[in-house]
Amino acid sequence: MKKGRIKVMLGNEACVEAALLAGCRFYGGYPITPATEILEIMSRRLPLVDGLCLQMEDEIAALVAVVGASWGGTKAMTATSGPGFCLMQEAIGLAVAVEAPCVIVNVQRGGPASGQSTSTAQGDFYQARYGSNGDYSLIVLCPSTAQEMFDHTIKAFNLSERFRIPVIILSDEVVGHIREKVFIPDADQLTFVERKVPTVPMEEFVIFKPEENGVPLMPTFNTGYKSPVISQAKSLNGNRGNAKEAVENIRRIVSKIEDHMDEFAEVQVYGDEKAETAFVTFGSVCRAARSAVDMGKEKGLAIRSVEVKTVWPFPDHLVRRALAGAKRIVVAEMNLGMLQREIERVIRQPEIKIELFSKIGGIYPQPQEFLRFLEEKR
Amino acid sequence: MNPLGEKYLRKDFLPFLFCPGCGDGMIVQAFLQAVDDLGCVDDLALTAGIGCSAWIGVYMHVDILKVLHGRAIPAAIGIKATNPSRKVVTFTGDGDCLAIGGNHLLHAARRNIDMTVVMVNNQIYAMTGGQVAPSTAVGSKTQTTPYGNLERQLNGCKVAIAAGATMVSRWSTAHPKQLIKTFKKALNHKGFSFIEIMSQCPVQTGRYLLGSGSPQFNFQWLKDHCMKEEDPSKWAEIEAQGNIPVGDFLQVEQPEFMAEVARMNQRVKEAQAKGGDR
Amino acid sequence: MKGAERIEIDRRYCKGCMLCKYICPCDVYDLGQERSDLDYLMPHVARIENCKVCGLCEQHCPDMVLTVVAKKKGKEKE
Ligand SMILES: Cc1ncc(C[n+]2csc(CCOP(=O)(O)OP(=O)(O)O)c2C)c(N)n1
Ligand code: SF4
Ligand code: SF4
Ligand SMILES: [Mg+2]
Repeated sequence: MKKGRIKVMLGNEACVEAALLAGCRFYGGYPITPATEILEIMSRRLPLVDGLCLQMEDEIAALVAVVGASWGGTKAMTATSGPGFCLMQEAIGLAVAVEAPCVIVNVQRGGPASGQSTSTAQGDFYQARYGSNGDYSLIVLCPSTAQEMFDHTIKAFNLSERFRIPVIILSDEVVGHIREKVFIPDADQLTFVERKVPTVPMEEFVIFKPEENGVPLMPTFNTGYKSPVISQAKSLNGNRGNAKEAVENIRRIVSKIEDHMDEFAEVQVYGDEKAETAFVTFGSVCRAARSAVDMGKEKGLAIRSVEVKTVWPFPDHLVRRALAGAKRIVVAEMNLGMLQREIERVIRQPEIKIELFSKIGGIYPQPQEFLRFLEEKR
Repeated sequence: MNPLGEKYLRKDFLPFLFCPGCGDGMIVQAFLQAVDDLGCVDDLALTAGIGCSAWIGVYMHVDILKVLHGRAIPAAIGIKATNPSRKVVTFTGDGDCLAIGGNHLLHAARRNIDMTVVMVNNQIYAMTGGQVAPSTAVGSKTQTTPYGNLERQLNGCKVAIAAGATMVSRWSTAHPKQLIKTFKKALNHKGFSFIEIMSQCPVQTGRYLLGSGSPQFNFQWLKDHCMKEEDPSKWAEIEAQGNIPVGDFLQVEQPEFMAEVARMNQRVKEAQAKGGDR
Repeated sequence: MKGAERIEIDRRYCKGCMLCKYICPCDVYDLGQERSDLDYLMPHVARIENCKVCGLCEQHCPDMVLTVVAKKKGKEKE
């Protein structure tokens, strides 16, 4: 049993709590519903631990400042929602390219454009993975409870430091604004990962030469390495112009993550693991699906709910294993069929149609509706 | 390589990517001279955006983060925020700083955060091949104003002053001595300093706007058109003649942002220790 | 009177912009016939005896390739 305390808090608040425990000391943000509480609480809490919370002039500046702080040697994060997440896309590519560990929370709301600021949605599923230009990879975690906002935030900081990447927490309005019990372990009960820094003399150090785990050591600024860190395609010494090394570098920033997915990919199954009927969900929808599984059980219906916690890189093999033996697969999500496309790609059995139970417009699906869907669409 | 270059340049990154006779290399040298005079190389952290001028800092053997077009200033703020003892300097072009990154300039200046923005004004988007910039003169024919530029110029120094910068200067690459002095002042200034450098771009500005691609011609153009005038009330007259006022325009002392942050943190922590949190 | 012992031109990086010739107040340089490693015609130090070691060419060179080496003090008398 871990030592700690229990506190009732908002999902967004749990995120801040975890970030501070993980050592986040810089926050660059811009107000936007339904993520604003993260900025507000950070602005209260960071000064108390000698950190800095800056409300920047826009979300571009917010994330770029986070990247600067990361190279400055600090754990840093930002949080936003749809329109702000759009503005951050170029800088997400920047964080990838300069291998700056950082955490970005997207508390999703309805889109497109200004959409529905106070309503929940899951329409940024693909944007979180493919929103920036060029070939790259990153990690996207999807919490479904305030507790998971906490746990995923710790995990996000750890993964960002381990892989030197931006890690995205793809939350949504329901998870951000739910107020529920969160268990906060004492700091000594948790594991925190820190970026590895070089120790060899400057002359012997090659800035983008990877270690065995695919990740180069990070010579954060003013530690004596006089590092050239450019957003352009680069060779091992950080310069432009060597096409061959630049290509290898692009492959590496993808493979450093995708070759090590076992370290972090997570898919959970709730309910009867052998049930022929399966829901597949992510984020807040997991909650309603769980209730539906329980209600079904009372009615004598065996259902499993497959919860994809790490949505990117998509954990093909874990999802396949979790869905093994299922005869009927219903993807439930708050968009017009994004996770569905991934399931269709992963489960290629002609006899199984991947059905979609979709809710948009800020209407959160009720558990009864899951069961009704099973009956009506039979 | 001259001795300054031997001492401070990143040898494995040479030659500079700049065209023959480009002013950007002169800025590298003037800045390094200032750094050498002050002996502050280990305290430097540079940032840059995108453009020819954004490469200025990359050749110097110092920590540099070269980010996205227009975003060098927020990157600098992030770096400064994590360790206020650094001397943070941003190299940015006229397009980078006044167009796509214009908003960041305003807000960094109004915060009076201790950093230096060096805006290299070659009056054009050079890297992309000679398109109109906010600093291009009215009437100029560029690749994207083939019938003449209809838009009025944005004056970086005036913008910086209006936004609250506490040190503002403009010089040109034809004024290396003054430039070195101003760099040193800025590196020691506690607050937001903005230095605009009129720089020759023989290849784009020279060929398309000024009528000659010769480095000598373009260098002379700066000598002929940059007039020392530190009294703002006289600028309009100089500008009306198609000339450019240069000089050290402003230096005042105002509360510096990171120092204020430290003070606030202290105050808040003491209050919390006493039981409140404000 | 100050004088230069020699002026070094780093042929690896010279781009032949000839600003040194333009800037020099003492007419030390001519356009030379030799090409640098970057394949530009380099300046030629034609009249070293004119050089006053003012340093302008070195300070203005956009590629930092010029080094003006002054005569050691008293050398003239030797
Ligand atoms: C977001 C974005 N838009 C456009 C570009 C293309 N681009 C590269 S440099 C540049 C203009 C640079 O002009 P300036 O800042 O004046 O620098 P200079 O090259 O003149 O020194 C542009 C538009 C880009 N890199 N990124
Ligand atoms: S295009 Fe102009 S600004 Fe760019 S390197 Fe060439 S001369 Fe310099
Ligand atoms: S040091 Fe002065 S006098 Fe001598 S060559 Fe250079 S510019 Fe001419
Ligand atoms: Mg320009």
